[in-house]
Amino acid sequence: MSRQLSYAKAILEATDQAMSLSPDVVVLGQLVDTKSGIFGTTTGLVDKHGPDRVQDFPVAENLMTATAMGAALTGLRPVLCHQRLDFMVYSLDAIVNWLGLWRFKSNMKSGMPVTIRTIVGKGWGQGPQHSKNLQAWFAHIPGLRVAVPSTAYDAKGLLLEAIFGETPTLFVEGRGLYSMTDDVPEKPYRVRFGQAAIRREGRDATIVAVGMMVPLALRAAAMLEKENISVEVIDPRTIAPLDRKTICDSAFKTRRLVVADPTWQSFGSAAEIITCVAENLGDKLKAKPIRVTLPDSHTPMSSALETEYYPDENDIVAAVRQTLA
Amino acid sequence: MQLSHRTIMQMGRYREMNLAGVAPDTLLQLYRQMLRLRRTEEAMLREYHPADEMRCPIHFCIGQESVPAALSLLVQRDDFMFSHHRSHGYFFAKNSPLRELFAEIYGKATGASGGKAGSQDISHSETHFYSGAILAGAVSIAVGAAFGFKHRQTRQIAISGFGEGCTDEGAFWEAMNYAGKQKLPVLFVCENNRYATFSDQLKRQANDNVSERVRPFGVRATPIFGNDSVLAYRTLGAEIERLRNGDGPALVEAYTYRWNSHVGPEDDGANAYRTAEEMQFWKDNCPISLLGEKLRGTGHLSDALNARYEAEIGDEIAANFKFAKESPFPTDTNWRRMNYDDASPVADKLLGTIAGGSAFDQYQAEAKLGPY
Repeated sequence: MSRQLSYAKAILEATDQAMSLSPDVVVLGQLVDTKSGIFGTTTGLVDKHGPDRVQDFPVAENLMTATAMGAALTGLRPVLCHQRLDFMVYSLDAIVNWLGLWRFKSNMKSGMPVTIRTIVGKGWGQGPQHSKNLQAWFAHIPGLRVAVPSTAYDAKGLLLEAIFGETPTLFVEGRGLYSMTDDVPEKPYRVRFGQAAIRREGRDATIVAVGMMVPLALRAAAMLEKENISVEVIDPRTIAPLDRKTICDSAFKTRRLVVADPTWQSFGSAAEIITCVAENLGDKLKAKPIRVTLPDSHTPMSSALETEYYPDENDIVAAVRQTLA
Repeated sequence: MQLSHRTIMQMGRYREMNLAGVAPDTLLQLYRQMLRLRRTEEAMLREYHPADEMRCPIHFCIGQESVPAALSLLVQRDDFMFSHHRSHGYFFAKNSPLRELFAEIYGKATGASGGKAGSQDISHSETHFYSGAILAGAVSIAVGAAFGFKHRQTRQIAISGFGEGCTDEGAFWEAMNYAGKQKLPVLFVCENNRYATFSDQLKRQANDNVSERVRPFGVRATPIFGNDSVLAYRTLGAEIERLRNGDGPALVEAYTYRWNSHVGPEDDGANAYRTAEEMQFWKDNCPISLLGEKLRGTGHLSDALNARYEAEIGDEIAANFKFAKESPFPTDTNWRRMNYDDASPVADKLLGTIAGGSAFDQYQAEAKLGPY
């Protein structure tokens, strides 16, 4: 029997089930124990699992990550929640200087099963300090995994996989995806890192769409279908590790590539995806690859400018048409 | 009067060492441990150049033997120790195997970190010893370990060793706030050696102590003359006992002094950041001499016993060098495996695997963000 669940509820369910499966799982974050519970993703956990396992944290983001690391050394599996990725930037020392290199530095003797949930805002005037998506920074750091789930199904499966894995994980959530529903199994299940999903099969062009761009890419594909253009949509689901094989196989099949990525253009994940295709089959492509990303600019507050700033399905459609021109 | 480097400098030769209440055997162990650390560091310093086989920065801790030696007699194997870049004393304090320290510095596969970390980043997971060169970061992780111990209701403690330079960083104060608020079983050991590299604490901070400022955060603080190893032993021991009984956190601020340069064997005197008078004062108050003289006075330490210690320690150091030099260099260049653990035994055990995918409807509206 299928069951529809929202992205937010899928995250809540995964966390709740992880806490039931193992007493080692603890949740830390500012306001995680409140009724509003990080946009509903932690609501009720404190009542069910107790205040020792679901703890509000001081507004000390760096210490929060370090605390999770120390706790992980004692055998716990902490899940951290940041209401906005922008706030998490205070914890870069803990993430970049310590968390990512712990396994390396210990000569593979010591692991760090820490999951850092972080939310990227979009729209309603979030402005330049509530909407940054810095996923590519973290994918650049060896020793970190970066999940970019686009569906409720993936959000649940990837979060469980992150919590019970041994490599630390940045879990980048699109706030815009929170209300979107999907068919989500009740039982705990896994979505593996480094395994892209083929969201839609096609022949004429490939769109690799990341995170919040996935629903837009699917809408673009549906629009293009009416023009008899058959588009394949690949969702990497995790950018570290990145499933280069599935991406390249699709690009080889269609010979045309558009990458839709909800981050700044320069030095971003779209650049890495195009590079991997260029390195493997650059001379096989029939058209120059195209990036559909945010402009290299901070996010404007005004809704008039927000509309211009964020690409939509029409921009993706235009890019695909350009590869076919 | 608040203890500080300025007030200590006024006292001349230290004459207040009190051996009462500490068993003679323990005092001799304390002396021997200090001597062992001193000779180890001196040997490394001599061997550093011109051989150039220890190819990594080393921050020597000669002059600062008192606190590590005291801790080495007080910690349990399952306690966790976190150190900064001047790590040898704390590695020693955790009773981690010294030959793996030697091999690590030589970049050998048999090193505590397989030759990947070197002197300033060394760890030894088996004995729960960790270090790193980004000062307050390690203090913060120690707080996390203490969080874990409290959560698990064990009697383990976390020990965080750092210098006063670390307290310039905001992360340090986040750690004090949380440790104090949560009453965590963490012992902060501040070896106040006055200088962050070449910079006097009073060039960086309004006060030349750390103790006064951590107390309002709920962290109990005891400043001591750090080169009195018996006082260090007594103070640290009492705090560790209180921490094991849930009465944490605590900070011990041990005023001490490094005799050598900030890093490496070369003289950094050209930077003229400290006076000959100050250096002489601290050499006159050498922690090993202070205790050695006392123990000779009480008759517990004879020339013969001292010679035996020196011989044993010399043999150990020679064996450690031999081990390090004869060990193979690492050859594994599987970079991916070094950085990522692809095995997931816990997930394999706890999670079922469901094949198939989702029935995702792309026409749904995205979430509308409301007022925050």
